[in-house]
Amino acid sequence: MKSAPDTDTLSDREIEEANAANPVAGIDQTRGDFKYEMSYEFDAGTGLNEKTVDYISGVKKEASWIRDFRHNALKIFRSKPMPTHWATKDLENINFDKIRYYLSQGQKPKRTWDEVPDDIKHTFERLGIPEQERKYLAGVEAQFDSEAAYSNIKDVVSKQGVIFANSTEALREHPEIFRKFFGKVIPTGDNKFSALNSAVFSGGSFIYVPKGVKVAQPLQAYFRINAENFGQFERTLIIADEGAEVVYMEGCTAPKFSTSTLHSAVVELVALKGAKIQYITVQNWANNVFNLVTKRGVAHEEAEIKWIDCNIGSRLTMKYPGVVLKGRKSRGEVISIALANDGQHQDTGAKMIHAADETTSNIVAKSISVGQGRSTYRGQVHIPKHLKGCKNNTECDALLINTNSRTDTYPAITVRGDRNYVQHEASVSKVNEEMIFYMQQRGLTEGQAMSLAVNGFINDLARQFPMEYSVELKRLIDLEMEGSVG
Amino acid sequence: MSSLEIKNLHVTIGEKEIVKGLSLQISSGEVHAIMGPNGTGKSTLAMVIAGHPDYVVTSGDVLLDGKSVLAMEADERARSGLFLAFQYPSEIPGVSIANFMRAAVQARMAEGEELDATSYYKRLYAKMDMLKIDRKFTARSVNEGFSGGEKKRCEILQMAMLEPKFALMDETDSGLDIDALRIVAEGVNALRGPGLGVLLITHYQRLLNYIIPDFVHVMYAGRIVKSGDKSLALELEAKGYDWVKKEFALANP
Amino acid sequence: MSAPSPLSVLSHSPIGSFAPDVFASHLASVGVAPAWWLERKRAAYEKFAALPLPKRTDESWRFSNILGLTLDRFALAAPAKPSLAPFPVPHAASLTFVNNRAIEGGQKHGWMELPAGVVITTIGEALAKFPDLLRSHFMAQPQKLGSGKFAALHTAFLHDGAFIYVPRGVEVPAPIVITHIAAGPGAAVFPHTLVIAEENSKVSVVDTFASADATPQFACGANDLYASHGAQITYIGAQAWSRETMSFQFNSTVVRRDARVQSLNLHLGGRQARHESLSQLQAPGAFSEMLALTVADQTQEFDQRTLQIHQAANTKSDLLYKNALRDQAKTIFSGLIIVDPDAQKTDAYQSNRNLMLSEEAEANSLPGLEIQANDVRCTHGATSSRIDPEQEFYLQSRGIRKEMADELLTFGFFEEVLNRLASDELHASLRTMIQTQFTKGPRV
Repeated sequence: MKSAPDTDTLSDREIEEANAANPVAGIDQTRGDFKYEMSYEFDAGTGLNEKTVDYISGVKKEASWIRDFRHNALKIFRSKPMPTHWATKDLENINFDKIRYYLSQGQKPKRTWDEVPDDIKHTFERLGIPEQERKYLAGVEAQFDSEAAYSNIKDVVSKQGVIFANSTEALREHPEIFRKFFGKVIPTGDNKFSALNSAVFSGGSFIYVPKGVKVAQPLQAYFRINAENFGQFERTLIIADEGAEVVYMEGCTAPKFSTSTLHSAVVELVALKGAKIQYITVQNWANNVFNLVTKRGVAHEEAEIKWIDCNIGSRLTMKYPGVVLKGRKSRGEVISIALANDGQHQDTGAKMIHAADETTSNIVAKSISVGQGRSTYRGQVHIPKHLKGCKNNTECDALLINTNSRTDTYPAITVRGDRNYVQHEASVSKVNEEMIFYMQQRGLTEGQAMSLAVNGFINDLARQFPMEYSVELKRLIDLEMEGSVG
Repeated sequence: MSSLEIKNLHVTIGEKEIVKGLSLQISSGEVHAIMGPNGTGKSTLAMVIAGHPDYVVTSGDVLLDGKSVLAMEADERARSGLFLAFQYPSEIPGVSIANFMRAAVQARMAEGEELDATSYYKRLYAKMDMLKIDRKFTARSVNEGFSGGEKKRCEILQMAMLEPKFALMDETDSGLDIDALRIVAEGVNALRGPGLGVLLITHYQRLLNYIIPDFVHVMYAGRIVKSGDKSLALELEAKGYDWVKKEFALANP
Repeated sequence: MSAPSPLSVLSHSPIGSFAPDVFASHLASVGVAPAWWLERKRAAYEKFAALPLPKRTDESWRFSNILGLTLDRFALAAPAKPSLAPFPVPHAASLTFVNNRAIEGGQKHGWMELPAGVVITTIGEALAKFPDLLRSHFMAQPQKLGSGKFAALHTAFLHDGAFIYVPRGVEVPAPIVITHIAAGPGAAVFPHTLVIAEENSKVSVVDTFASADATPQFACGANDLYASHGAQITYIGAQAWSRETMSFQFNSTVVRRDARVQSLNLHLGGRQARHESLSQLQAPGAFSEMLALTVADQTQEFDQRTLQIHQAANTKSDLLYKNALRDQAKTIFSGLIIVDPDAQKTDAYQSNRNLMLSEEAEANSLPGLEIQANDVRCTHGATSSRIDPEQEFYLQSRGIRKEMADELLTFGFFEEVLNRLASDELHASLRTMIQTQFTKGPRV
């Protein structure tokens, strides 16, 4: 294990450089509608069986325990039925035999801009990333298909003893740190899709922040799916040691394809005593992607885990970020925004499992359904017996834009004992017509007025995103609201 | 003749010390007013004397007729003769005013002694009439859906029914329009007499135009920094609290 | 992604005591009945026998004690004559069933004259006199809340029940009281109350359920409420079975144009009691108010499932379910509001409040919404908490002792529901039932 450096913070110049390296800011989302030809050197073909698993493990030169882990996961994946007794039947439209489970540009993540292949550089160009920012992009753990295309911010944070690597590299080079927690927060058999991920995972970020280290700038990863019928199964594990603090940002955009693609990630967070982890996601997959993600964190004593989760894209998203409040006075929070347009189902929510005294959890979820879009909140709050001083507050608000829009709310709350306090409130409403008329009278079009109203609806949550994300969010909402009226 | 004595009282809530060595003595028949800027510990003082469990006395004492009340539960203090008119009275859904007051009156009676319903209602209605509270209110849940003025009148009604030795009135004027304020003040004035001591807590001098205090104290930073007669209130009104803050800063560099 | 806990293996027989020969002997005891009735019972029995017992993975049984569900060791209750205390409310008429049979030959006796045309009789008699009404209203609504098997069991084994018909424009001036009694160990009873309120009529019905003794019994009852245009029904269900009883009760409420149904279900008895309530708001102006109060103690489990379906525009529903939990008691509230695509201007509310009075009690809340129309007002809320310490302090600051303060606040918690009743007499009698359970109930 690397020891922590003397200072916890980076120099101003380093922070500036790292901040500039945000790949999401400045991306022109309207220009995501393309596919770029890539030559896949390593391709596991379509379909999933033992050979696929062996192939992936072989290409990655993995230790035998990881290979065994994958094989075991494959068995569990096969044994589990689709969860359609509670989830949407749309899941049955996933054809697992037609999905590519692994392909890679090459074995080693690229470290410098010069080493980044020209075709990938070209893709960035198409995404509209400004020229002057590109040199900093080498500091981002950006995943092009399965493997990280390049990564460099780790050089900056490694001065603080932070390990920031992709899953393959981390498990190979730092098993003493990561093996202990890998697959422990979310066991392989947690659900069918966590099992699938465990069998075929590649890419994703593994991060270790040493005791007391406060990472000043957000660490970022940027994922894309860029091959037809290609499932992406990244695996992320973040460990914040005692008193450490880290913010992680994950943004997605994807080219649009005619047939289904599958994204099924597993994200595990471990916040040890007094640590703080904030995990921010803006999900904007193309409208043919099944986005089935398991995200969970364990918060130890006085630790804090906060999920900020925004879902705008995909055909079907099922994602319920959770926090297991394991240590006394730990805190968990989920801030969730979902926007479902025609043909989309955002099935999102949160889970809060209280397992120690005086733990607090807070869930605020807002959804917007446009056209025939459907948004669903699904939540779980659990306070077992003999705990005291636990509190949960949940608020779910749904906004329905059109007459045929749909929203559902399915919370499940279990409380034992008389020393805890739980409150859940949900409401469904439409945009206030007087407000729209007022704005129209001032010269705005109905669409502009509607956009403003929707942005107002989520404003208090959007403010919790970092600046560049909330700007992006506003723009995405404007785009989504175009053509929703009239 | 009763006395309420606060001796060098220190109070914390959570980790924070709010009241920092406050002393004050009130005798029956006296009306004391405590004035001070917001956040200076006035409401904390009221809550701690009434026995709210969140407030911790770290040192000092509160004596009622020479006997410490600090070890007593809130209900025991109330039965000993302390009454708090809350700044923000709780809403109690499903519990009617009639049942609530009855339980409170009954709690003051000896074991096995039965409340006489006829004379109870007669007394309750008389007090309600005095405070211009509609008799129909007896069937309504305590404070639920009451306007600010109704809540405050309901507090005075309870005070009238329970006949305390000392009444602590926490910002009783807040949220009242001038008519409601007059009614409340008339109610309090009607209860004034040799058997009742009053501690009025207020931010504004306005209330003191209606309930004339015998003594005025200025509270700042958790203690009393100035005492005087009713003219002190007028002085405060004219000069504002900055004057007190400056004096305090000079005295406590 | 989420996954429910793994399956628990069930060992109970899916038909238990209700074997084909038992059904055959039940049919033989029915006597003269129309063919369609017997056919319906046969079909129901087949359905019951074919359906499996609920499984852990059934969403509509989430959190329920599946292992506690057993149909073993029960028998069709034999005729009995226990002594009974009358329901202490002035009433227009009453009917009492002991072990599925009407006592006093089904004679009604009231404290007042019934308006002309009002029918209060047994299902047995209605089969002869009003077969068409029975055919179109008896168990006619869909089973959407998970107990299809037990509802089929009810239809198959139902021996008799109450039939109430109020003609157009008629108001029944006082409540009609129906009493269902189970007597003797292992007694299986199938209470039924059917209320049909024609256009602009008004009626209030009190359905009470009690055991004559403290033995383990099985109750599988249903009540169908039908409110035609402009009709008003008030329905009180007061469940006080023995503490060893396993109980199922299914309510179906149909509310037509401008009609209004208020139902209040009081849950006191039973070892494990499941109550399913379905309100269908079928035409503009329909309003269903769904209220429930549960006093749960010892190891009792109360499992309440509700569904408010808004099938037309401008309909309203308002649900308030309150549970007070003591000892190791457990409650489940699972409610769903469905707003159909055309049901614009729906106003729907759903609230579950759990008052936790012990360290070991467990409250589960599943308040759900499925909204497919945008111009609606739909909210729900659920809270689980102990007595509010600020309220407790307020009462104590008036000199009221802590125990008394807590009792006042607990009753205040119930009063919020009881206050919704228009009738002071009903309010008072239900309050007395709760007080008896609450203050004198056995404690562990």
